[in-house]
Amino acid sequence: MENIDLESLNGEQINFMMILHSGNARSKVMQSLREYREGNVEEADHLLVQAEDDLKVAHEIHFKMVQQEASGEKVEFALLLMHAEDHLMSTLTMKELVKEMLELFKQKNI
Amino acid sequence: MKRILLACSAGMSTSLLVTKMEQYVTSIGDEAKIWAVGQDQAKAELKHADVVLIGPQMSFLKGELQKEANQYGIKVDVIDMMAYGMADGKKAYEQALKLMGDQ
Repeated sequence: MENIDLESLNGEQINFMMILHSGNARSKVMQSLREYREGNVEEADHLLVQAEDDLKVAHEIHFKMVQQEASGEKVEFALLLMHAEDHLMSTLTMKELVKEMLELFKQKNI
Repeated sequence: MKRILLACSAGMSTSLLVTKMEQYVTSIGDEAKIWAVGQDQAKAELKHADVVLIGPQMSFLKGELQKEANQYGIKVDVIDMMAYGMADGKKAYEQALKLMGDQ
């Protein structure tokens, strides 16, 4: 999946790719909390690491778009792009918070 | 008439996929009702569908939804990653047919 050449995709597909990877991360972050609730601490940690990997891919796509615009090549604006950014940013926030929460739970032995 | 429900967190990305799927369905002369809803409406809507496809951002809810869908004997699955990432209506429609056992 990660081997897909972004150059070969159109704007809409790039946005979908960003939502896809952010979305996979979002599901893993939520699943991580649920695993912790069930007492599967190792699995919870593992899922968070995986979520970070997914977020890296989404972030990389976004970074390339920002770079492209900075280099003078205009990026086509679409509501879908804004939506994809929403996904990325909200999932980044979720991941940071859940990471902190799990550390807190571990520290307090809950 | 096949009824396919798509669900994702806000119902936005899947709305676009619905359009792509509808275009494909028309192009092959099939008939299907395909619509998208947000994460919170999925449970209430699924009784009107023959199959439910969900976005990757809510794959953690698949178990819950499938439990609800079992009452109506329908299947719930996460949209194929390639179909979703490439906004591929044909692939998504074929996945839905396969889940319904039509293909």
